[in-house]
Amino acid sequence: MLQIIAILSAKIIFKLNRLTGTGGAALPGLIAKKIDDQILLHLCWNNFPDGIIVVTGTNGKTTTTKLIADILEVSDISYLHNKTGSNLERGIVSEMLRRANWRGRIDAQVALLEVDEASIPAVLSQLNARTILVTNLFRDQLDRYGELQTTAQMIKKGLASQQGATILLNADDPLVASLADNDGNTYMFFGISDFNGPVLKHDYTADSVHSPISNAPLVYSKKYFSHMGVYKSKNGDFVRPKPDWELIKMKNFDTEGSRFMLQSETAQSQEIDLSLPGIYNIYNAIAAIAVAETQGIDEKSTTKVLKNSTAAFGRYEKIRYRDRDVVIVLIKNPTGFNQAIQTYLQDKKQTLVLAINDNFADGRDVSWLWDAAIEDIRSGRIIVGGLRRYDMALRLKYAGKTGQVVDELTACLDRAIDVTKEGEPVYILPTYTAMLEIRRFLVKETEMEDYWK
Amino acid sequence: MKSKHKLKLVHLYPDLMNLYGDRGNVLCLQQRARWRGIDIEVVPVGVGMKLPEDYDLLFMGGGQDRGQELVADDLFQKGHQIKASIEAGLPALVICGGYQLFGHYFKTSAGKKLPGIGVFNAATDASNRRLIGNVVVRSQRFGKLVGFENHSGLTKLAASLEPLGQVVQGGGNNGEDGVEGALYKNAIGTYLHGSFLPKNPAVADFLISAALARAGYEAVLTELDDSLEKKASELASKRPQ
Repeated sequence: MLQIIAILSAKIIFKLNRLTGTGGAALPGLIAKKIDDQILLHLCWNNFPDGIIVVTGTNGKTTTTKLIADILEVSDISYLHNKTGSNLERGIVSEMLRRANWRGRIDAQVALLEVDEASIPAVLSQLNARTILVTNLFRDQLDRYGELQTTAQMIKKGLASQQGATILLNADDPLVASLADNDGNTYMFFGISDFNGPVLKHDYTADSVHSPISNAPLVYSKKYFSHMGVYKSKNGDFVRPKPDWELIKMKNFDTEGSRFMLQSETAQSQEIDLSLPGIYNIYNAIAAIAVAETQGIDEKSTTKVLKNSTAAFGRYEKIRYRDRDVVIVLIKNPTGFNQAIQTYLQDKKQTLVLAINDNFADGRDVSWLWDAAIEDIRSGRIIVGGLRRYDMALRLKYAGKTGQVVDELTACLDRAIDVTKEGEPVYILPTYTAMLEIRRFLVKETEMEDYWK
Repeated sequence: MKSKHKLKLVHLYPDLMNLYGDRGNVLCLQQRARWRGIDIEVVPVGVGMKLPEDYDLLFMGGGQDRGQELVADDLFQKGHQIKASIEAGLPALVICGGYQLFGHYFKTSAGKKLPGIGVFNAATDASNRRLIGNVVVRSQRFGKLVGFENHSGLTKLAASLEPLGQVVQGGGNNGEDGVEGALYKNAIGTYLHGSFLPKNPAVADFLISAALARAGYEAVLTELDDSLEKKASELASKRPQ
């Protein structure tokens, strides 16, 4: 009964939201949860016959989830996906309620859930997932999450509540790899064993560089970024697990994408064409492949999707504005910032806009700007905006670079276009709320898709 | 008077005590010195490594609890030597976890007492609340200071120890007595990240100038254009806690 009241209340709020044109994606879920505390459990109980897929970790959740969604799409598997960006428990509940009929039936074979690391214990305590993916663990908005070890403990606790799940871990991230346990779940790994692309000179973001068993330092035979690579502890008590999905040969790697050979347990080694740039997207792609195989999806669907994939909302969005190519790449933490620098900001011909806000959703603390490899930026012109524009300008100054400060955030875009020649790209690296503001502006001014629709 | 301006900065445990962008402080000292023709060589000193015979500046940042536990024993072994240098006027900056271990002890939330090296006549106990947010401090010596705090350890200073300043916004040492940080001879302890020094260049220049004087150089620093630093500090101090 409580469940039906909760569902009906949420439905009314959805209606009101639509009438008033507001996009408070998580509100219905919040209200429903107030009425029925275990609404998520009740919704998952009798739905999703082909299982629930959970994706968590610091970076790459949204892109990986989108890749999986695209794979499900071409495989004709119906699914539910919390894609409007709210990956807290209430956002997930909201999406389920939006899709449910008044009795709580959801017409979807699979639930594909992107879940915030801190929400993992609460979410996993209410459902049994078939597949859980942990992408990576990096320093991220420490004012909200606290320490990396705490996050890892929370995820571990969530995983322990599962029965018979297949848990896919990034072998190249020592802290993620150390989550594997003897708890009745099946743990499998994915990783990159061959990489010949450029790496940063000023990467100071590695956090997990000691054995979780003995605290002995880790020694890397290969390091790609942050603490990602091929490692073993000095005393040999902790070794990178052999990946079940392993990139064994990098055939091509450039700013458009990559081609590589992937060896997996079930299939022969296969050649993968990926249309997303950057090594971080290779991790996202391999993770998506692992999830697809675990779900028993034909590899042809997967390779087709990866060959023509586009990034998620704000993660590498290209748009034409005033006859220039403008690319938006969201940055949320130093590792994400560094990956953007490593992948995109190596060309003198480009103009760079750094838009740094410190609203709650961005993280109030801007200290992380000092951990990013600003020294490695090669962009010819840099424009700085957002609430903490002077912090960013100062960071640039101490890296021996100059950022032009523009007070009004959306005016940064026009300034950038003004100083950019035709045929040269503009890269915008915004924090989360700055990204929303810039996108809103571009939706109004261009053909860009409004994601609330 | 020596002629070639060269200073050596010891960066303690850069691999373990490196959270919250604290390395920006080292970068700031290096650059502000370089802009005045002074070369600062950074010497990273990790667990099990020896301190150099002679050095001019000391820095230690904040870390995760795990990092702090991993370095505490090693720091304790170096404690005697560091303390003697600071008594003799060595300029030092220690932030957050580093600040805590430069007091008498840090008692973790698990009840474990990590011994500190007692540079500061102060002690820290973990609490179950966390002081998080933008901080503004009024310092007699340095004027307005800004930064971002994020700590659950609460530090109490002995009455004889001078705080870095009075809290205008935020928690400070313990959220109760209205003071932030500690100042002893040329050593500064603080909870402020941000990074701390870039937005508080007066403190950076104090450390450089103290290091120059101790090394026998002319300690008067040429003025730099700090308009960007001032604007960043101004904007930061207006952000909500």
